[in-house]
Order: sequence, then C-alpha cells, then structure tokens
Amino acid sequence: MPEWKQEIRKQLAGLNLPPTREEEIIEELSDHLENLYEEIIAEGATSEKAYGEVLSSLGQSDLLTELRATERTAPPDPIPDGLLNSGHLFTGLRQDLRYAARMLRKTPGFTAVAILTLALGIGANTAVFTIVNTFLLNPLPVEHASQLAAVNTAQAKKTSETLDVRPLSFLNLKDYREKTHSFSSLTGYSSPMALTMSAGAESQRVFAEVVTGNYFDTLGIRPRMGRFFLPDEDAKPGAIPVVVIGYAAWQGRFGGAPGVLGRTIKLNNLAFTIIGVAPQGFKGVNAIFGPDLWVPSMMAEQVMPAQQQNALRERAVLTFTGAGRLRSGVSLSQAQADLKTIAVALEREYPDANQGQTVALRPLSEAAIATNQRQGLMFGSVLLMAIVGFVLLIACSNVANLLLARAAARRQEIAVRIALGASRWRLVRQLLTESVLLGLFSGILGFFFGYGGCQLLWSFRPAEFAQNLVDPHLNANVFLFVLVVALFTGLIFGIAPALRSSRTPVVEALKEEARTAGRSVSRVSLANSLLVGQVAVSLVLLVTTALFLRSVQREYLITPGFETKNLTVFLLYPGQLGYDRTRTEQFYKDVRDRLATVPGVASVSWAANLPLFSRAQSGVVMEGQEQRKKSEEISSVINTIDLDYFSTMSIAFLGGREFTQNDREGAAPVAIINDTMAGRYWPNQDPLGKRLQLPGQKEFRQIVGIVKTTDYQTLGEAPQSCVYVPLRQNYSESMVLYVRTEHDPSQMIASVQSEIRNIDPALPIDDIRTGTKVIEQALWGAKMGVGILGVFGFLALGLASIGLYGIMAYSVNQRRREIGIRMALGAGQASVLRLILRQGMMLVICGVGIGLMLSILLGRALSKFLYGVGASDPASLTGASLVLLTVAMLACYLPARRASQVDPLIALHES
Amino acid sequence: MGASLDQEWKKGSAELLILSLLEDQPRHGYDIGKLIEGRSGGKLRFHIASLYPLLYRLENRGLIQGRWVEKPNQRRRRYYRLTTQGQKTLAQQRQSWREFVRAVSQITGVEHA
Repeated sequence: MPEWKQEIRKQLAGLNLPPTREEEIIEELSDHLENLYEEIIAEGATSEKAYGEVLSSLGQSDLLTELRATERTAPPDPIPDGLLNSGHLFTGLRQDLRYAARMLRKTPGFTAVAILTLALGIGANTAVFTIVNTFLLNPLPVEHASQLAAVNTAQAKKTSETLDVRPLSFLNLKDYREKTHSFSSLTGYSSPMALTMSAGAESQRVFAEVVTGNYFDTLGIRPRMGRFFLPDEDAKPGAIPVVVIGYAAWQGRFGGAPGVLGRTIKLNNLAFTIIGVAPQGFKGVNAIFGPDLWVPSMMAEQVMPAQQQNALRERAVLTFTGAGRLRSGVSLSQAQADLKTIAVALEREYPDANQGQTVALRPLSEAAIATNQRQGLMFGSVLLMAIVGFVLLIACSNVANLLLARAAARRQEIAVRIALGASRWRLVRQLLTESVLLGLFSGILGFFFGYGGCQLLWSFRPAEFAQNLVDPHLNANVFLFVLVVALFTGLIFGIAPALRSSRTPVVEALKEEARTAGRSVSRVSLANSLLVGQVAVSLVLLVTTALFLRSVQREYLITPGFETKNLTVFLLYPGQLGYDRTRTEQFYKDVRDRLATVPGVASVSWAANLPLFSRAQSGVVMEGQEQRKKSEEISSVINTIDLDYFSTMSIAFLGGREFTQNDREGAAPVAIINDTMAGRYWPNQDPLGKRLQLPGQKEFRQIVGIVKTTDYQTLGEAPQSCVYVPLRQNYSESMVLYVRTEHDPSQMIASVQSEIRNIDPALPIDDIRTGTKVIEQALWGAKMGVGILGVFGFLALGLASIGLYGIMAYSVNQRRREIGIRMALGAGQASVLRLILRQGMMLVICGVGIGLMLSILLGRALSKFLYGVGASDPASLTGASLVLLTVAMLACYLPARRASQVDPLIALHES
Repeated sequence: MGASLDQEWKKGSAELLILSLLEDQPRHGYDIGKLIEGRSGGKLRFHIASLYPLLYRLENRGLIQGRWVEKPNQRRRRYYRLTTQGQKTLAQQRQSWREFVRAVSQITGVEHA
C-alpha cells in the first residue's frame, strides 16, 4: 500500500496544527486516498498509474488554504467548567468541593495519612478544651447564669490585692434577703460537707450542701423527679427533715429506683425523707466538686459539724455563700452598692460580729471556682492548651510538607490550568478548598478522638470522689471550637503550599518531565524550616515532660517529716452516729485500749487532721506580742491530738515533754509547737514556758514541748508553723485514727476493723488510707499532669518523626538519579548512607539546638511548679534530646538505607 | 449544464447535499463523495480539498458529528452523523431551497430545474 500519510503531512506542514488534530486529519485523508487508489486499480489500471492519478489529485488541490480557513474557526477543546473563571461564587464552591473530593479520593494514601495526622492534633485539642470548657468557661447548669451573682463577706479594708472572700452568716444572709431591692430572689448554700448516710444496714460517706429553701427556684432548676423544698419545710429549725438527692447519687447509691421518693435515709443518724431528685448534670454551683444531696438550712444544726452548729443563731459563724438573681435592669455594681448600704447598717447594729466587714458581689460563674483553685486551673489549662496547640502545629506542618511534595507532583496539572486561563486566585481557592475539606474531615475524626480521650482522661479521676466531680460534657462551645480549629487548620497548612503552587512558571513546568518536577531550592527550604520547627517544638514538649517527671520522682523521695511506711489512717465519724460528748470520748479511749492489745499493732493515736490535708488558720496570738495589724496576723496549722501521736507518726521530739493523761480539762492549758514556729517567733529564746492563744479561744496555753516540722498541706512545702493541743483540752467529735503497725499494714486492716466493729457495729469504717496511699493522693495531681504531658510529648515526637521520615523519603526519591550517578562514579553504599543521614540529621540538630534554648526559657517560667529540679536540669535536657535524636535517626536511616540500595543502572535508566 | 454548473452549485448547495445524505445514516467522507458523484450522474464531484474542510466546518458548527469506527477487517474510519441541530438546519435549508426554486421557475418559466 502506498504511503499517503507522508504526502499529506507534507501538505499540512505549514498549518501548525495541534499534533493530535493533525494525526486525525492525516488518517482520514489517507483513508480517502486509499479508497480512491483501490477504485482506480479495480477499474483495471496498473498500480503505478493509479498511484500517479491519486497523487496528482492531491497535488491539484488547495487543501492547505481550505483547511487553514476551517481550522482557524475551530472552538477550543471542551474544558471542565471548574477550571475556568465562572462568575457565581456558590456554583464555583460546589464545583470546587466536588473537584477537591475527587482529588482526595485519587490519592487515598496521602488523604489517610493527612487526615489521621490532623485528627490526632485536633483530638488532643478537643480533649483538653472539653475539660477547660467544663471547668473554666462552662456556663453553670442553671437558668440565665449571667443574671446570678454570688454574695460573700469581705474585709471592708482590703489587706491585699486578692479578693479575700468568705461566706455569709445565716442571719446576715437573712437580713440581706429581706432588705435588698436588687435581687428578685436570694438564696444561700454551704460548701459540701461529709456526712454519714445509712440506708438499711449499710453506712456510707456522702457529701451534702445545706441550702435555703429557695435554692433551686433561685437557680431555676426543675426536679428530675418529685419536688424541691416547700417554704414550710425551711421555716422552723429542726422541724422537717427532708432531703433532695442528686442524679448521680440516685443512680449510684439507689440504683436509679423510681421508688426512692418517700424513702427514709439516715444522715448522721437522723432520719430524713427523700422528696426529690435533682436533674442530671446539676451538681450544685461549684465548677468542680458537687454534693450528693441537699438539706434545707433549718436542718443545719442536725448535720453540721460541731464548730458550725450555731450556724443559724450566730452572726460570727460564716457558713452560707449567697446566690442572688438580679432583677431585670439592675447591674451588678448597682446591686453591690445596694448591699453595701445594708452591710454598713448591719455593722452598726451588730458590731461584735460584723466589725470591719462588708459585702462583695461577683458573677456566680466566677465564684464557682475558689480563687486559689482558679489560679492552678488557669495555669494548667493555659499550659495544656499551649501544648496541644503545639501538637496541632506539628501536625499542620507535617501535612503542609505532604502538600508541598504533592504540589510538586501536580506542577504540570497546575501549569496546564494556568495555560488554559485559570487565574491565580482561582487556583489558590481550589487548592485551599482541598485543604479545608481535609481539615473538616480531620475535624470530624478528631472530634471522636477528643471525646474518647476526654473520657479516658476522666476515668483516671480519684474513685472516692467520682460521683461528686463534675463530668466533662460536650456542648455548643466544644462543637464550635472543633469547627473553628478544623477550618483554621485547613487554612494554616494549606495556604503556603497553595500560594506557592499558584506561582508555578507555566512554560518551565510544562517542559519538565513529571519525574523530576519541582525540585526547587525554595520548596525544599520551606519544608526544611518547617521540619526544624517541628523538631524544636517536640523537644520543648519532651523536655517539659521530663522536667515534671523528674519533679514528681523527687517528690516521691520527699520525707514528709513523718514515717509513711506501716502507717494507716481510718476516717471515723462517731459524732455523726448521734454519740454525745461523753460517749465519743469513751469511744476514743476504748479504740486505743483495744487496738493496743492487737498483735502487730505498734502504736495507736487520734488526731483531728488528716496527713497532708491540714490548712493554716490565722489569728494565733503570742503573749507579749499581741500588737499586730490584721494583715500581720500569725497563721499556723492547728492540730488536736491524742496521747502517743508523735511516736505513732514517728515525729522527732526536740525538747520539753509530751502530753500526758493529766493534760485534761481543768488543768493548765498546754500546747506543743514545731521548731519552725519556735524559730520564727522566739528566735534565740527558749519557747518552753512561753504562752500563746489560739483563734477563737480565750485562754493562753503554755508551750510545754517542741517537735520537728513536717509537711502539713503538700509534699515538699515551705516550712509552716504548727501548734498541737491535747484532745482532752480541746474536744472534737470528728477525729482520725492513726495506727502504726509492725509489718505491712494491709494484713492488719481487717483485724483493726473487726475490733472497731466490736465496739459499735453501726460505725462506718470504709475510708481507710495507708501512709503510701496518702502520699499517692497528695501527688495525684502532679502525676496526672506528668501523664498528660507525657502523652502529648510523645504524640508530638511521633508526629515529628513521621514528618521527618516523609520529607527524607521524598527527598531521597527525588534524588535517585543523582545518587545513581554518584554510585556509578564509584561512591559506595556507606558513603551514600552517610550523605543522606548527614543531610537529615543536620536539620534535626538545628531543631534540637533551637528546642534546647526554648526549653530552658520555658523551664524558667515553669520553675515555681517544679520541685527539686532546675530549669536547665541536665538529665532532662540530655534525656529528651537523646530520645528525640534516636527516633529522628531512625526516621532518617530508613530512607537513607533505601537510597544506598539504589541500583545505578536502574536509576539512570529511569530518567 | 457542464463544468461551470459544478463550481456554482457546489458553493451554494454543498451543505444541503451533505446534510441530506447523512439524514438516513452515518457515512464516511469517501462514501459521501461517491454518493454525490453517483446520484448526480457524475455531474457533481467533490474534490478531497473541498469535501473534508467542508465536513470539518459543519462539525465545528455542531451540525454533524464525526466518530472513529473500527470494523473487523477494515481500516479505522471516521463516520459522520447528523446532530439534532443538523436536522433542524437541514429542514430549514430544504424549505428555503424549495422557495428559491419556485421563485426562479416563476420568473424563468422553467419547470423542474
């Protein structure tokens, strides 16, 4: 068959048609010529004649002119709409979304890694934010929380900057309620108090709040079941013992039984009738710790501890925090002014109790967290939010790096689009739609991660308070947070790659071969700086974790000043069983006597304070040093103790004598102090024989002994003053039993319990803590902190290593040809390995250097929260750096090894 | 009529001829050329340089559509078919052709051109 195509091609040469179009035309025309040729042959001509005839027919024609006219009018090839600048925003958006989804589906590996990486980052943020939201930002579970104000007693003359607020006395609260015009309703509530609840034969410890009858109405709470207090039920002291139980208590302690209404329970041995169940999620107005049940204020005397039993009659007993609902149109400051006027009148009328005192109002949501707790929580929250923010940044920069790598592979696609007339803004928009879509998908997954993480975190809370701690819950804030984070995430990691891609130089990109595409210096340097940043941030997190870990480790080694080994404490509330004073005192004595005979028990004593749960009281007066201003009042831990306390606790005795049987009521009042107090108030003197007066007591006590200082409030605290007074001179109905055993206390607990049961079977003894458990509890918060820091630190490390691995693997792949040439020229495997490793590890070392500097700076800021560890603790710094370097080494080694195994022949052939 | 007629008529009516031939079935370019020559008794003849550019123009205007078809034991060939728009255009052109012929007949007194 003659070769027509050559001939036609010659004729078309001047047209400059697109190659595919040209081929089509040539094929069609040559088919025509071939048909003509066959026809002439069929008519009997020789092949040469036929060939000549066909050629001449082609030669006569002005094909070129005709085709030129035709092809010039050809419309452009059909192009997908999404690529052109199509006016309408929303049509464009829908197309963008569809296109983005298609692009993500096309690269499932990339999409999965990116979504997972981001979801981990977003999940960490969600978990932390859910908790922060619950404790710090959460609107209280009440109606129109912004209308509610907390009312407290405050000093008329401020002694310091911090707001020193205390509860109101019941009588003052009542006066405020009757005289104020600012509140439509004013209620009062106590802090949760531990009570003994017996329903049937069992006894348990529960927490109760004493509240005025209008408590639930003021807060706008509706019962889940039954009803709340009626006005009559809170009118006469001690008359109507009714109780409202919380939802968690109803579920946990009564199994959610619908028949709980009308049931009788005993609180401190007094029968109360259950009239209602509070709604789910309402645990009082404290942001963290809530009660199991609520008792009307008229029952205060029956349930409150001895010191507060005059709460309804004495203006000096400060028990109730006020919560008022502002009338519409009344501002907080107007209400404050109104109540202050009443406070002045009350001060004039009852100077004994109200001297120097006024009233302080603040939003109830602010009062939901005690001032001292707020600072700790704020610090913890800010620290945690910063940490998870960094984790998310690492995840973002990982994905940004992935996108940069992918953008290089898509250079040709993008160049084609620019060539077809897509504007730069249009391209950026398309690329950003992709990254925002990725962000949103990650947000959905991250939300579930976060929720799971939060539940997990919360499952580590101390079991004994599980029902009383407010549960973290999801609300609109959390959803909004996740949405915003997801959108921003998409923009943050998408913007740099998108802007960069949209600047693709068209001609060069089109000429490039796909394999070598986009190895521009600036692209690599952007990726590298992201990587250095990741390494630095990961290191900062690891170092911070290490610092806190070391700090907790040190805290475990702290000797609190007493021996924790073989020590057990029992929390008993004999007074709550309705014992009178004589019987309680007899009980204390009986327990001591009987336990002393149990084999294996070395020593037994009673004390009012739990170890590491004491709090200093102010108002101690030293004889001869009385003239002190209110702000310089002496504060000291005060503990009431029984005989043998110091030997039971193994606290060293420094001088004087211990308490004896003779230090009883009627005898000369005595006290024992610690050496901190001695050194502080009688420096260079002998404190023995000196006298001091405790707050709320009239007589002066003579100091008869000095003991060594221990930790009273927290482990490793700054030394505090402490005064011990004998139980026989300072009766208390709630004492803690201390038992020192000769061996492992766990085996002794049962025999101690049975001895106590022999004395009174009704007494609940379920709260038993060994000395080691006391330490554990004291360190619970710190350990939780380290755990959380550790999890996030290693999450950051993991993400950074994935990033490092990714960029190394990508760069090795890009350099296959170069490596091939090197190896062809004689470079050995080892030298290639070294080359790649050096390249990667240089970045890592830069990151580590920056990270170390940042860590030291951050460590300084955190130093007051660290115990026994400096900000530049060498062990933490080197340890964290080593961990990071090892992981980074591995992340670099794998791609480097692959590079060193490149077969030069194959690598060179590929290009 | 002769050779001059060939030139004249081709310009005015070539489109109508091609569209009419494609009305019943898709055809390839050589087939179209042969049919015009055969049915006109050799009086109308399309040269390769005018037939194909005309086909491409019709295709560009969306009146016909070409498609490569491969049949067993045959070369790949490009078949053209009439599009919906092509059908409409064909109807219009037929109508105006009839009117034109009628007008010419009335003036010249020649029936059946």
